[in-house]
Amino acid sequence: MTDTILKLDGVVKEFAGFRAVGGPGGLSFGVRRGGFLGLIGPNGAGKSTTFNLISGVMPPTMGRVTLDGTDISALPTAGIAALGLGRTFQTPRAFGSLSVIDNVMVGLAHPEESPLAALLGRWKSAEKQLIGRAEAALERVGLIQRRHDSVSNLSGGELRMLEVARQLVREPRILLLDEPTAGVDPALQGKLSEILAGLHAAGTTLVVVEHNLGFLMSLADSVVVLQNGALLAEGTPDDIRRDPAVIAAYLGADHEA
Amino acid sequence: MIQSLILSTLMFGAMFSVLTVSLNLQYARGGMINFGTVAYFAAGAYAYAIFTQEPPSGLDQYAFGFDLPWWVGFLAAGLAAMLFALVTGWPTLRLRGEYLALTTFAFAEVFHSILLNERRIGNGSVGMANVERPDPASIGLDDTLGYTLAACALMLLTAWLFHRLLASPYGRLVDATRDDEIAAESVGKDTARVRLQIFVISAIPIGFAGALYAMITTLVAPALFTAEVTFFVWIALALGGERTIPGAILGTLALVFFQELVRAIPFETVRGAQIAASAEEVITGILFILVLRWQPWDRLSRKAGS
Repeated sequence: MTDTILKLDGVVKEFAGFRAVGGPGGLSFGVRRGGFLGLIGPNGAGKSTTFNLISGVMPPTMGRVTLDGTDISALPTAGIAALGLGRTFQTPRAFGSLSVIDNVMVGLAHPEESPLAALLGRWKSAEKQLIGRAEAALERVGLIQRRHDSVSNLSGGELRMLEVARQLVREPRILLLDEPTAGVDPALQGKLSEILAGLHAAGTTLVVVEHNLGFLMSLADSVVVLQNGALLAEGTPDDIRRDPAVIAAYLGADHEA
Repeated sequence: MIQSLILSTLMFGAMFSVLTVSLNLQYARGGMINFGTVAYFAAGAYAYAIFTQEPPSGLDQYAFGFDLPWWVGFLAAGLAAMLFALVTGWPTLRLRGEYLALTTFAFAEVFHSILLNERRIGNGSVGMANVERPDPASIGLDDTLGYTLAACALMLLTAWLFHRLLASPYGRLVDATRDDEIAAESVGKDTARVRLQIFVISAIPIGFAGALYAMITTLVAPALFTAEVTFFVWIALALGGERTIPGAILGTLALVFFQELVRAIPFETVRGAQIAASAEEVITGILFILVLRWQPWDRLSRKAGS
C-alpha cells in the first residue's frame, strides 16, 4: 500500500448548476507522500479550481478531501494551511503595500503577531530570529537583492518567485504550485527547477499545475490529466506521453513524445 | 476672542481627531468602511452618563443611574463601545466594501432610533442633562483649558498606541489582510479574526471620546448623535489624507477650526447667522471637492520625498 498524503474522493464543484470539477462520478485521485505530481490538462479543465477545492479557497459541492487522514473539505483556507499545506496562485498574489521581505515575513508563523505584543513592544527579538529565515528564502528564489523594494516594482515572474518564497519559509509538508513557470524567464526557470528538485529530495510533497511540459515531465514522478473537470488519465510521465486519449485531448496529434 | 477660538478648535478638534485616527485604523489600514462611527461614539457617551448619573427621580424616565465616580464612567464608555463593536462587527465583517458601509450605517440608525424611542435608556429625545464631570478647578485649571488638555491627551495617547500597534508584526499582518485576504489565509492567517480585532480595537478610543464629549457638553441626547457626526469625521479624514495618523489629525483640526471660525463671527441679526451657517456648509463642500480634486497632501509629500 502506498502512503497517500492527499486524497480526493468523489469531489465535485458546481457553479450555478455547471459542473466545473468532478465529471459524472466526481474527481478522485491521491498524491503519494513525498511524491511529485504533475496536474495537466487543457485550459478550462478545472486544474486551478481543483487547487482551490484542496486549499479551501472554495468548498466542494460534494465529495471529500483528506490531508493525512484528516477531512479538510469543510475547513477554512487558514486552517488547511496551518495543517502544513502551501499553495501559490495562477495569478500571483502579493501584499501590495508591503516590501518584498515583509511579503515573505507574513508567511511565517510569528509567535508575537498579536495586538498585545505590538503594544507592549515585545516582538523585536522574535522578529530578529525570523528575518534570517525570510532572507534565506529570498536568497533561494534570487530576490535577496530586492528585499527592501516595494512589490509594485517587481515583474510578473519575480512576483511568482516571491510567492514561492512566502511558501518556502513555512516549510509546508505539501506544496501546490499553479503554473510556476508562466512568465518566468529561462534563467529563473532553472532556479525554480532546482528549488523544486531540492524540496522533492527533502521529502516535501509537490503538486504542480503546468503547461510547460518539458519543465514538468523532467521533475514529476506521476501525472494526472484532467479534461472537462474529470480524470482523463493517470500514470507516470512516460505512460502519459504515450496515452492516445491524452494526445488527442491535450498534447495534440503532432506531439513529439 | 482669538484665544477662545484656538481653545475651542483644539478641544473639539482633538476630541474628533480621536474619531478620525480610529477611523484611519479601520479604513486605511484595516480596509473596512464604517459609516456607523457615531454609534460607537454615542455608546461611549451614554455609558458614561448612565454610570455617573444619579438614580432617576421625579420626571426622569431613564431606568438606570449608578452615580459612580467619573473614571468608572469613563472606563465603562470604552467598554461599551468595545462591546458594541464586537456585537455589530461579528455578524457583519464578512461583508465587503459598500455592503459593510451600508450595514454599519443601518446599525447606527437603528441605535439612534432606539435611543430616541426607548426612554428607559436615556430619557428618549430629552436626553440626560447635567451630566456629572470632574472639575478641572481641583487641579487649578479653568473648565475650557482643562477639557482641552484632556482632549489633547486622549488624542495623543490614541495616536501613539495606534502607531505602536501598527509598527509591528501585527501591523504587517493587518496590512497583508487588507491587501489580499486569500493570500494571507493561504499562509495560515485567520483574517476574519484580524478584521474583527481591528474593528473592536479602533472602537475603544471612540467610546472614550464619547465620554469626553458628554463631559464637555454635559448633555447626552439623540440629537447630538446623528449621522452628521459620522460624515463629519469622514470628511475630516478625506481632507487630511487617509494614510497617516498626523494627516488624520491635521484634517480634523482644519475642519473644526473652519467651523469654529464661522461660529465665532458676531452677527447682528438672526438672519445673518442663518446665512453664515448655510455658507459654512457650502464652503465645507467646496473645500472638500477642491481637496479631492487637487490632492494637495499627495503633492506635498511627493515634494518632501524628492
